Amino acid sequence: MTAELVEQAVAIRTVGLGKSYGHGETRIDALADVSVEFGRGRFTAIMGPSGSGKSTLLHCLAGLDKPTTGQVMLGELDLTKLDERSLTHLRRDRIGFVFQAFNLVPTLTALENITLPLDLANRKPDKAWLDTVLTTIGLKDRLGHKPSELSGGQQQRVACARALVSRPHVVFADEPTGNLDSRASADVLGFLHRSVREFGQTVVMVTHDPTAAAYADRVLFLADGRLRDELLDPTAESVLDLMKQLDGTD
Amino acid sequence: MLKLGLRSVLAHRLRFVLCTVAVLLGIAFVSGAMIFTDTLSAALKKNFAGGTADITVTAVSQVDPGTSGALPATLTIDLANQIAAVPGVAGTDPQLLVPGIQIIGKDGRPIDNHGLSAYGAGWPHHPQTAPFRLLDGEAPWGQAKLALDQTTARREGFELGQQIKVVTPARSVSATLTAITTSALSGSAAGAPLVSFDPATAQLLLLGRPGWTSIGVAVQPGQDHAIVKEEITSIAGPDVTVRTAAEVSADGENALDDTFGGFSTVLLMFAGLALFVGAFLIVNTFAMVVAQRSRELAMLRAIGASRSQVTGTVLAEATVIGVIGSTLGLLIGTGVAGGIQLFYQSLDLAIPSTALQVSAATIVTSYLIGIGVTVAAAYPAARRAGKLPPVAAMRDDLVVPERSLLVRLLIGGFMLLMAVTLSAIGLGTQGLPGAVLLAFAAAITLLGIVMTSPLISRYAVRGLMRPFGRQAPVVLGRRNAERNPRRTSATASALMISLALVSGLVVLAASAKASVDKGIADAIGTAEFVVSDQGGAFSSQVGDRIAEVPGISAVHRIRQLPGTVASTPVSVSGVSPGTLSGPIVTRLDAGSLDNLEKGEAVIPRNLANQLKLSVGKRFQLVTSTGKFPLTVGGVIASNREVNAVILSLDQFGAVGGAGTDSTLYLDVADGTDPVQVRSAVLAKVSDYPSVLVRDQQAYAAGERGPINAILGVVGALLALAVLIALLGIVNTLALGVVERTREIGLLRAIGMDGPQLRRMLQVEAIAMALLGALLGVIVGVLFAAAIQQVMAEDGLSVLDVPVLQLVIAIVVAAVVGVLAAFWPSRRASRLDVLQAIAAE
Ligand SMILES: Nc1ncnc2c1ncn2[C@@H]1O[C@H](COP(=O)(O)OP(=O)(O)OP(=O)(O)O)[C@@H](O)[C@H]1O
Ligand SMILES: [Mg+2]
Repeated sequence: MTAELVEQAVAIRTVGLGKSYGHGETRIDALADVSVEFGRGRFTAIMGPSGSGKSTLLHCLAGLDKPTTGQVMLGELDLTKLDERSLTHLRRDRIGFVFQAFNLVPTLTALENITLPLDLANRKPDKAWLDTVLTTIGLKDRLGHKPSELSGGQQQRVACARALVSRPHVVFADEPTGNLDSRASADVLGFLHRSVREFGQTVVMVTHDPTAAAYADRVLFLADGRLRDELLDPTAESVLDLMKQLDGTD
Repeated sequence: MLKLGLRSVLAHRLRFVLCTVAVLLGIAFVSGAMIFTDTLSAALKKNFAGGTADITVTAVSQVDPGTSGALPATLTIDLANQIAAVPGVAGTDPQLLVPGIQIIGKDGRPIDNHGLSAYGAGWPHHPQTAPFRLLDGEAPWGQAKLALDQTTARREGFELGQQIKVVTPARSVSATLTAITTSALSGSAAGAPLVSFDPATAQLLLLGRPGWTSIGVAVQPGQDHAIVKEEITSIAGPDVTVRTAAEVSADGENALDDTFGGFSTVLLMFAGLALFVGAFLIVNTFAMVVAQRSRELAMLRAIGASRSQVTGTVLAEATVIGVIGSTLGLLIGTGVAGGIQLFYQSLDLAIPSTALQVSAATIVTSYLIGIGVTVAAAYPAARRAGKLPPVAAMRDDLVVPERSLLVRLLIGGFMLLMAVTLSAIGLGTQGLPGAVLLAFAAAITLLGIVMTSPLISRYAVRGLMRPFGRQAPVVLGRRNAERNPRRTSATASALMISLALVSGLVVLAASAKASVDKGIADAIGTAEFVVSDQGGAFSSQVGDRIAEVPGISAVHRIRQLPGTVASTPVSVSGVSPGTLSGPIVTRLDAGSLDNLEKGEAVIPRNLANQLKLSVGKRFQLVTSTGKFPLTVGGVIASNREVNAVILSLDQFGAVGGAGTDSTLYLDVADGTDPVQVRSAVLAKVSDYPSVLVRDQQAYAAGERGPINAILGVVGALLALAVLIALLGIVNTLALGVVERTREIGLLRAIGMDGPQLRRMLQVEAIAMALLGALLGVIVGVLFAAAIQQVMAEDGLSVLDVPVLQLVIAIVVAAVVGVLAAFWPSRRASRLDVLQAIAAE
């Protein structure tokens, strides 16, 4: 009973996750012994200095990269045990991903980009859900346009919609607002926030921006590939404070 | 700039691999052809350096009789005596040397000389002036003796004293081998198999009348050959050439050269086509490489490089590739030439071995062509690179400025219009001139389509790919093909040109075969069997003997020789009485066939039109032996079996025809079994092993044979062009994968699996392959059909479009498109997702 509750409450977790590059003298531990759980229906932000391993963690979680040690558990499924083909299908069906830039296929229209994961899986989109997602990103009149005809913020919103359309277990976003001004950032973050609040989506986002982190329910701090600290129900100020504090201890 | 170019080529080796291959293939053929020609002529010069006579006097034919039923032009013994009286002449030696002999091998079949005609000669009177030398045995003076050249004797295993059968134009004889000689040492017979007889016997067997083809002259020691030559020329009269030994060897005409020289022509055709199709590949590669490196090139501009310097770096890259491709091509070309040399040496003909001749001219030409083609093909891209604005270095989403398509479309449209006009004129012109016009129009059409193809491809790709469904990988692949119409269309154009040639040829060949069948079916009437000989004209004895076979009711003869009327080459036929009204069906248009026996000529309608002749008109016929005035006595409908100036047998003899037949038509008596009659006929002519006795069907099949042979050679040529065109598809796809690395990474990240990725690239490849194949087949078939139309009177009466073969060609193109995607898609699916996304 409790086990089931716990399992339901956790969307994805890592156990002793480690990732290193190179050998011997030149060895770099991008991640070292990271064990962390991400709650279902929660919006988690990951922060940390450049090179601290945030992207590496996200990539390992999303099945884009293979960790050197440890496990990534999506429910009862150990991602580190899957072969390339199963990982591909897993990414297609159960995981959404938003990169910092170049998220869209230039030959496809916005709508085609959004439904691409479903098309690749040969699945029909759930009409009602698609409608909901499209209404939420609010680009109804631009859906027939190619990415080159959309602004950076619009492109990122389309990318978010694509990440959501297959109702994935988790949506990962790596600095989705890194290239955007504050207004466009607010649009994208608002959209991610609503998807968590209104649709119960699980979102994990890497960011450098305390304001962006404040949209999350919980902020994890990474340094040198290790989990350093965390903050629940963050505000921009509390995040900034903690960052200063962590800087000081270094 | 060259250093930058070299660095860039090294850094992007892979992108240039196929470019280099394209240059390499073309240059391999160019240099192979040149090396082979040089080597062959060096070998021939070494072996056949001049005759032994100081001066050679030769009868010149207006029309080369070859091995046809025409008499060679001859000189009389009187001329020999006159020359002997010229001051300074030590002696004269009248000689006889004619082609068209068959040597029967030990297996009873005529021996295979690999396309060389065996020559028959009269034994020389003096060794000093002889055109060949005695090596072993004794001169074959007297009847039933002969001599044979060493190469043939050794190859066939003939020994002195052995009985040898030969078939001469006059008849089949068996004689004792008494001497082994060299081949002819100079002139057109040099290197060819040679049979010689006692001079009187030679005249009988080879000419059927007295006469000599040349006179060897020995000059007294100390006399100036040039002065003696002048003297002889002044008395020799017209239609005679007088040459010193040096001039004879300089002329270098040679049977071996003719036969094997064809190799280099074929190689040069391969080279031309390979380079032409390869140029498309190079154009595309450079366009894509410049697009991919535009930021880097713009950076050069930003830090102060001039336009021409940026253009220069790109051209330097092209030069580097041209040099590498030419160097490798030269090496391979040497190998090709060596291979051909090995091949002809394995035939055991009279060619001595010589080291392969790689001359400076070959090396310079190879590099000039290799570098020239590469640089020219890279130039448009290089120019565009120079026009990149320096700010492009700072921009992210930059597009290389491309010249607007409008100019290109206008030029292309103009060319298509010109092609239409030319086609209209061509269709209105009957015969060969019309066909040439149409072929020219076809070439312009292809170029016009190449120019306008970006527009065509924009619309065609969508339609073509509709049957492949709307799944995501298909849509993505199709969009990729539509994304850069220039690139897609340039890739498809190479295939289009190859397939236009293939399909045009296929249609023409099929039509030619169907026309042969129809022509024979229409022309042959009561004749049950057609008799002919693989070697050309054959002895009249064959017909005489067949006439004696019980069950044969009539033997009709046709004899043939080449001639010209008003400088137009024509064929001249002599027919026995009654041949044209029964065994061969002819329809009279004007005049009467009876006029043949009055010495007048009957001509077919097509010839009458071409020469603008009608009944009663007079014309002059030129043959190997002279000029003859004739009158048109009748005009018949065009007829495949007698597409010639037709004469009676007597008149045919009078205009220089030999007493040899080219075809016999046999009537079989009613109530006899044709199969039995045929066996009886064959038994009767067993002395002539190369004589064929065929019924109408077998005869038609035989007549179709040469078409297949031509088709084989040209087929190989086109296979190469198609192969290079397909390399072009591989190249475009592979470069596209490099260019779209990040996009492919993204697709992989959001869940596109390996098979889907492969499918996406396959669809793009199929789109290009199908576009090229379809356009090519349409152009090829249309123009082949048009050419058939204007050639309807000239042997191409039937249009046959072999739909199945053409459909197969298109399907093969699509399948090969799938194969072309194999290597690029393997590379693409092995890309590391994260690195790909991070890629610039
Ligand atoms: N392919 C690789 N080879 C070697 N080292 C790598 C590789 N990828 C990442 N690293 C190293 O791993 C460490 C973590 O990198 P990561 O990209 O996860 O950092 P990050 O926290 O996302 O930084 P940023 O905020 O700059 O994006 C860095 O020290 C980086 O140099
Ligand atoms: Mg990062």
